[in-house]
Amino acid sequence: MQHTVSFTHNDKQTPVEVSTGVLLSDAAQLAGLDIGLPCGGQGRCGRCAVQVTDGNVRRRSTLRLSPGDVEQGFGLACQTVVEGDVSIYIPPQEKIERRLTTDRVVAEVTVPEGYEYPSDQTVRRIHLELTPPSMDDQTDDWSRLQTALRLQANIKKVNVSLNLLQTIGDVLRIGEWNVTAVLEYPLEDLEQPVRLISLQPHHVDEYSPLWGCAIDIGTTTVSVWLVDLVSGQVRAQVAEYNGQIARGEDVISRIMYANKNGGGQELRQRVLDTINELLETACKRVKAKPEDVVKATIAGNSTMIHLLLGIPASNIRLSPFITAVNHPPLMSAGDVGIKIHPQASVDCLPGVASYVGADITAGVLSSGLDVAEDVTLFLDVGTNGETVLGNRDWLVTCACSAGPAFEGAGVVNGMRATIGAIEEVWINSDTYEPTYRVIGGGKPKGICGSGLISLLSEAFITGIIDKAGNVNLMRSSSRAREGAHGGEYVVAWGTESESGEDIVLSRVDVDNLLRAKAAIYAGFTVLADTVGIPLESVSKVLIGGSFGKYINVEKAVQIGLLPDMPWEQFDFLGNTSVRGAYYALLDWRKREQITEIAKRMTYIELSADNSFYEAFTSALFLPHTDMSKFPSVASALER
Amino acid sequence: MPIEIPKDKWPGSIKTVTIGATSTEGGTRAKSISVGGQASMPYLHYEAPMPNKPVIAIEIKSRKPDDWSPLLVEAWGEAMAEPAQWAKKAEEAGADIIVVALTLADSPEDAVRVVKSVLSATGLPLIVWGPGQVEKDNELLVPVSEATNGEKIVLGICEDKNYRTIVATAMANGHLVQARTPMDVNLSKQLNILISDMGMPKDRILMDPTTGALGYGIEYGYSVMERLRLAALQGDAMTQLPMIVTPGYEAWKTKESKIGEGVPEGWGDWKARAINWETLTAIALVESGADIVVLRHPESVKRVKAAIEELVTI
Repeated sequence: MQHTVSFTHNDKQTPVEVSTGVLLSDAAQLAGLDIGLPCGGQGRCGRCAVQVTDGNVRRRSTLRLSPGDVEQGFGLACQTVVEGDVSIYIPPQEKIERRLTTDRVVAEVTVPEGYEYPSDQTVRRIHLELTPPSMDDQTDDWSRLQTALRLQANIKKVNVSLNLLQTIGDVLRIGEWNVTAVLEYPLEDLEQPVRLISLQPHHVDEYSPLWGCAIDIGTTTVSVWLVDLVSGQVRAQVAEYNGQIARGEDVISRIMYANKNGGGQELRQRVLDTINELLETACKRVKAKPEDVVKATIAGNSTMIHLLLGIPASNIRLSPFITAVNHPPLMSAGDVGIKIHPQASVDCLPGVASYVGADITAGVLSSGLDVAEDVTLFLDVGTNGETVLGNRDWLVTCACSAGPAFEGAGVVNGMRATIGAIEEVWINSDTYEPTYRVIGGGKPKGICGSGLISLLSEAFITGIIDKAGNVNLMRSSSRAREGAHGGEYVVAWGTESESGEDIVLSRVDVDNLLRAKAAIYAGFTVLADTVGIPLESVSKVLIGGSFGKYINVEKAVQIGLLPDMPWEQFDFLGNTSVRGAYYALLDWRKREQITEIAKRMTYIELSADNSFYEAFTSALFLPHTDMSKFPSVASALER
Repeated sequence: MPIEIPKDKWPGSIKTVTIGATSTEGGTRAKSISVGGQASMPYLHYEAPMPNKPVIAIEIKSRKPDDWSPLLVEAWGEAMAEPAQWAKKAEEAGADIIVVALTLADSPEDAVRVVKSVLSATGLPLIVWGPGQVEKDNELLVPVSEATNGEKIVLGICEDKNYRTIVATAMANGHLVQARTPMDVNLSKQLNILISDMGMPKDRILMDPTTGALGYGIEYGYSVMERLRLAALQGDAMTQLPMIVTPGYEAWKTKESKIGEGVPEGWGDWKARAINWETLTAIALVESGADIVVLRHPESVKRVKAAIEELVTI
């Protein structure tokens, strides 16, 4: 039976006659219209979406489309067949792009519901009006300030540092006895004295920002969120590679470097430089000065915290793997070396063990795992591959060294997920030609973690690499070629890239990615085995990690990084560690909750027997040596 | 009182693999050799009959090796200079299969000539190994494979980083392949998957799990072979392949076999010790489930053969 398909594209109507069952993409071609099919018409990339405005069609697959999209009439041109007279709207290509693109560099953050300043906050700003001294009232300046605090803010005991005490007399007089005090209240024992952080010689508008910062020190990436403690809003988010990377990519090599003469001091300085530069950038963005920041909450793995504080970390590496401190006390920024207000307190969140640190307790807090009703798996897809399994009743955790590949480090053309990073790749299975999307839309500079996962999966599904990761040079494409270290695949030719050099996925990169994904997969399978919970009974998988929120589940399953479960069971949370630090920075109850989480978690040592190694080698394959664990991938390969 | 011996019933069994083709099968071999087909752990004849017994392959080189023990040179003598002569002597020594190991010095023409000369000198099935360097293996094995189309030779050695070319030419010319992985159950499985993904039928793959000599990691090799066999019997299709191991190569590189002088007196007679080393290594592996053992010394062949006869006699 013949039908009329009438296409609308760029405000022009083009009708074409086709018979029942013809694909919209073929019909469009007949009509002389070009709909790009980056994945070669396999329905895998979702970039050929068109809108059916009238008439009957049948959608073979709606992969990549949300139920809302389908309701609005969207369908994939390569997967939708004509079953009657239809009207089709082809959106301009860039419009499709925009619909599918979301900014992945900056996390979406909303202020936690119910946040109230000052009641939830330990740092408060108080305006004081002091009675000026006279011949009749010769009380000393410090007692006068204490009296004002008692009468005007109900503060009975207050502590002050010598540095601050040295300036009080001047500040009171410059401010003509009208001053603003920034105070920090004790977290646990309310009988403890309040601490005076700063005294400013003027009245500060009560709604003006009071700056705090949440810092996550990752082995590979350091993130800083600058927060207005009054409104609770995150006003700037910045991240950069940890300056220590130049001295080792994983925690073990860092610890070994720190043991060398002067090594510990150098590593400490390197991470402080990274943090301080990030703080400066963030402050500049909101037109504040780093000295205006009066509180810092820090999450990070145990090694990073030790190195930051200059505490020897060597016992973390040696059996039986003991930290010097899991929960450091409050310290001043001046002592730690963080260039914010020198009297600001630095709050390092509590960790659990040598290899499950404060980044994970913070991650558990921000993911809500500790209050979940059903059994939930939390994966931190970072250098140390920490995993937590449990619910509101119990929590077990382990760590496995995954390496920094998913953060773009240790990969020839890897980079962080910032402007210029290839974040998703589609490969045409007939021509082996790739299509990619670059963050920011410009020329590609490299490939970030989500791009690497996407690329590895596409290369595998299209047969460019085999299940062991070997590049198949027998394929007739100039993109699969012999490189310096074995076969490689060219994602972008030098003519397309920012640097003018080819952007490739090399054999070494594939090996690094395979090891990283195998370590993570083995970690959670062994953890689940240890407590006797089959993976199928896990109701939710929460994923943290610096590659952001928008990693493609299908592709992560295809390479065997994630278990083969229905997509709706996965939740991508982005950097959960900095988010947890942010929650703890804002609300003292959340801060106490993290201490509780750290106490509740049971740590499982994976090196105690060889079950991890077995699980690791069987996961060192695409997607896994045991294909029966990945039925959806098996059927994708058959297609 | 009669004692009931408990029997395991396994869901899986090992594939039967046939090496070499007779004239009726499209080749020129006097007879073909079948291995595999077991449905129980080794030699538990009361659980399941063992359709094929383990066989012995003797390794010869395309050129007289200059790094082999003088004891081996003494045993094979002048024949070592001429592969066809060497193969004949190996057949007389009791080999079921001849392994022809090509060397880096061979050109493709040399390789083809040597393999053809061995084919005409003996009626035994052949295994042909490349020199063990990726490019050279592919350069030599492809012409050998083409020149011996239909002979059902085993080509090797495939490893996970280099298997495509060898598998492709074996498939095109009706040969088999030997798949070697470094002593790990998962790695063995993975390479078998890669090779069968290319379309190679499973009854044309021999699995080489790698082994160590007595005192040099044999227990690890033994355990991997045992676990591979258990996985196969439990129904894992990717491990249901006969196993080939190289105790000759392993035993003859140990200090105990290689060195005759300057060793403690308590080590005893050099020749006896060296042959014992190869024999004991091979027998242990046969007991762990090896289907083909590749040996070097004719005396070891005799002793291992006798041990196999005892094992397969109920």
